[in-house]
Amino acid sequence: MKWKKLGKIFDPRDYKLANNCVEFAQSPQALVCEDYVRIYFSSREKDKTGKYLSHVSYVDFEKNFKKVKGVSDKTVIPLGGLGCFDEHGIFPMNVVRDKNRILAYTTGWNRKISVSADASIGLAISGDNGVSFNKVGTGPVLTASLHEPFLVCDAFVKIVESTYHMWYIYGTKWINDSEESEPQRVYKIAYARSNDGVIWNRDGKQIIADVLDENECQALPTVIQSGDKYHMFFCYRYASGFRKIKERGYRIGYAISEDLANWTREDANGGLHVSQDGWDSDMLCYPNVFNCDDNIYMLYNGNEFGRFGFGLAVLEK
Amino acid sequence: MFKWEKLGIIFNPLQLNGESWMKEYAQAPSAVIFENHVRVFFSSRGLPDEKGQYISRLGYIDLKRDNLFEIVKICRSPVLSLGETGTFDEFGTNPASVIKTGDELRVYYAGWTRCESVPFNAAIGVGVSADNGETFIRLGKGPVLSYSPDEPFVLGSPKVRMFNKRWYLWYSSGKEWMKSDTRPEPVYKIRMAYSTDGIQWTKVGKDLIEDILEKNECQASPDVFFFNGKYHMFFSFRYNLNFREENKGYRIGYAYSDDLLNWVRDDAGAGISASEEGWDSESVSYPYVFELDNKVYMLYQGNEIGKYGFGLAQLDSYN
Repeated sequence: MKWKKLGKIFDPRDYKLANNCVEFAQSPQALVCEDYVRIYFSSREKDKTGKYLSHVSYVDFEKNFKKVKGVSDKTVIPLGGLGCFDEHGIFPMNVVRDKNRILAYTTGWNRKISVSADASIGLAISGDNGVSFNKVGTGPVLTASLHEPFLVCDAFVKIVESTYHMWYIYGTKWINDSEESEPQRVYKIAYARSNDGVIWNRDGKQIIADVLDENECQALPTVIQSGDKYHMFFCYRYASGFRKIKERGYRIGYAISEDLANWTREDANGGLHVSQDGWDSDMLCYPNVFNCDDNIYMLYNGNEFGRFGFGLAVLEK
Repeated sequence: MFKWEKLGIIFNPLQLNGESWMKEYAQAPSAVIFENHVRVFFSSRGLPDEKGQYISRLGYIDLKRDNLFEIVKICRSPVLSLGETGTFDEFGTNPASVIKTGDELRVYYAGWTRCESVPFNAAIGVGVSADNGETFIRLGKGPVLSYSPDEPFVLGSPKVRMFNKRWYLWYSSGKEWMKSDTRPEPVYKIRMAYSTDGIQWTKVGKDLIEDILEKNECQASPDVFFFNGKYHMFFSFRYNLNFREENKGYRIGYAYSDDLLNWVRDDAGAGISASEEGWDSESVSYPYVFELDNKVYMLYQGNEIGKYGFGLAQLDSYN
């Protein structure tokens, strides 16, 4: 895979967003429409305790990705009520067209005491072309289970021949590290399948081999078909020190598959690397790969987990 | 209707100089019958921490089979460990329901975690014992029954039973957190799931028992048994808020069913209520009904949700 970087295309500081969000445009995810591309992302407001709440917004680009047509000025999807899994943020939100509906698989966050938070995957549906979404229930569609004890999140859903396929992550442990002030999470990529997009079958097994160490954190899988293979991009990092030490931060990983379930990791062929300097020189994270017209694009975040926006790359032919 | 004769209190942890984890409370009794004794599992607590928070642990006492008021053994250590950091059962395992299956015992229990905006959350875990309940090993680090779109939080008070070779789990499911002057309190209703192996559960997805107190009535500990050609459910219910006030705390409700799915509530048929005085004068709750040597018994907890232990009643008549 060989990518041509098109640079940072969106900076949240340049726009007025709903819900008092001023910084962060994390985990951009594309919904390709007839004459524009709607890109959802999670932005943040500070609540009265000084902690962040992540809210979903979108920006509409012309299909050349050079001109912004507009940003959402209303709430796209509200946060959950008291005690709900998505009370303290929705980040990320994956969108997928399903006939005349748009499904959103959300990652909802809820704050805890012994660890910072837990997360589960919710489902919401839009009937107005993605301007707003209604949740299916107040609880999650995918959450902790016997062998996935916490942090079930980062869903990416693809519908192939009327079967719903989901790649997501689950937490395996919280570790204490002398360099960090609180427990740090470890999570891995897994796979689930469904006939209706609501009830999912899964076996809680890691599907992408570790390359760093056993505590490697793997996040945000995104899958695209090209040629006779499926290609997965994701991000991965060390479990600690990843915020401050460049070498321990997020990078883009890559794997290939012929059947959507069994994957061979081939990071060396992924083709997207940190830049020498600039907005994506320290880390690369939260990739989203999509087809638009005759091109394959990747949206992704750079330094500081997308605090100052996201960028775009196009696959060279 | 049922008519129960109260036989008195069986076990009060406050009267023991117990282990540090068993200082007060003996909640949600659940019995397994052996040749010469009846092992009663229950959840107990050490003293609260500086914030007044407790951790509930699972233990047991053995009662002599031919005299249930004779305690022949009290376990020394909790029979189930707490969960790891960040797991659903890190801060307690209460209540629990134990069932014998072949040579093993299975425990289904509510695991407790602590949250920021609400005081806690709960989900249902499972453990297995190969030594008659001396120790249980959890089958996974996560819950066996957890949240879903219409069961968003606080899955608790599981009661497991097997009928016609099928596993059934009755439990309470949180609906909404209500704000109050002190801390938020959840509203929860009785629900059901079934399974062929006790691991993969199918939720029925409906509230089984209609409310009688108020819309926010809280319902818990649904204990089902088959007797005289019908299924009978004894459960606990109370007001959502101020339930520590007189007449707002837990009492025992009753419903019956022909098919396990459709229930007719008939609290007057329960035949057991708080006593005039004594250990169960303010509230009775968390019933567990079992048959032993041709008699039907109910174990239940008394005042302050079992702080002073549990007692026994015997079925006097049913008509």
